[in-house]
Amino acid sequence: MADRPDDLIAELRALGDHLDVPPARDQRAAVRAGIARRKKTRRWRLWLIGVLVSVAAAIGAVEPARATVVSAVGNLLRVAGIEVRTGPVTLPSSPSPSPLPFEGATTLDAARRAVRFPLRVPAALGEPREVTIADGARVVTFAYRDGRVRLDQCDGTIDPIFLKQAPDARWVDVGADLGLWLPAPHEVTYIDRNGVERSVTARLAGPTLIWSHSVVTYRLEGIATLDEALGVARSLG
Amino acid sequence: MSRLERATELDDATAVARARAGDLDAYEVLVAHYTAAAHRAAVLLGAGADADDVVQEALVKAYRQLSRHRGESGFRPWLLAIVANETRNLHRTRGRRAGVLQRAARQELPALAPDPADTAEANERRQRLVDRLRRLDRRDREVLVCRYLLDLSEAETAVALGWPKGTVKSRTARALGRLRDHLAGEEGTDG
Repeated sequence: MADRPDDLIAELRALGDHLDVPPARDQRAAVRAGIARRKKTRRWRLWLIGVLVSVAAAIGAVEPARATVVSAVGNLLRVAGIEVRTGPVTLPSSPSPSPLPFEGATTLDAARRAVRFPLRVPAALGEPREVTIADGARVVTFAYRDGRVRLDQCDGTIDPIFLKQAPDARWVDVGADLGLWLPAPHEVTYIDRNGVERSVTARLAGPTLIWSHSVVTYRLEGIATLDEALGVARSLG
Repeated sequence: MSRLERATELDDATAVARARAGDLDAYEVLVAHYTAAAHRAAVLLGAGADADDVVQEALVKAYRQLSRHRGESGFRPWLLAIVANETRNLHRTRGRRAGVLQRAARQELPALAPDPADTAEANERRQRLVDRLRRLDRRDREVLVCRYLLDLSEAETAVALGWPKGTVKSRTARALGRLRDHLAGEEGTDG
């Protein structure tokens, strides 16, 4: 009987052999076919991103035209560390926020020392009351207004680290940088350092502005209007 | 680590390197080698009848994400992390479809195959253990499944579940404690 933990562990180990696990299907052919299918769409998407970014950049300030271009050709938009998939949104079953992997509270000074990129504070919001650092100092989050407004600053020189699904994303100018405005709630998935997509952290994000400047990707969430969000973005010191 | 394990690891690393360069035959070696382990993990983590589909999706995704595989962890726990994640996604879709999350949660462990060679008491005890495991919090169950039913090390479990190693250690101890309390409580009320 399981009077000591070791007995229980032995029982658990043995239990695996008694559970009804059917034989696995041979996956070789199916996986090959799956990879071939993905490759085709992927190449097309990468090409699309190049076109999208250059078209969007070339059109400059003509906002309605850009929106049309984006909706005409795009189902994938990308800004440095963040990739946005447009199209129907599948909402996570639990809309409450859950933490990024390995998240911990810290102070602004400690966060500055830990990250490999310059942390900037938006003058429009002031010094953050809460600072968290996640996934080996890849992401630093400032929380304002009781956590309803968040500013993420991410080391954006690597593969996409946030995936978002949003039906109505559009390109905007953030100073000299290109950004994305996502006015409606959308799903956010984090890709951790091992490259694994963590849908565990999928949560609904409010209106969000995403942009990147040099090696850093910024993500400002919870500000209702684009104008105010742009004001916060421009006030980064 | 035995010499055989080390040899397998070397082979995996070579196969991963080749597959990353686009060698589909090399990737097929990994697929053939790890399909069974991935499938078992999917079933024990609750994928049920969808386990084969989960594994297929995970293997295709793993190929696509190979460039992100850092090689510090072996290929197996890294693949299992994708499998665990796909299984969780499945639960969410199922939950949405059924409108009742509880239902998916209850299906999270496969049924027990009674062992005719064993005593009725032993079979009953195993059934109780399965029932209690099913009723644990999802994270508690996941860590016990990874550590003991799938026989992953602490480090491998950390990779597969995406937790820090310290969390795996403390969560395992806590889950074992809870399971033990539940079982003891049950025996108390029975007797």
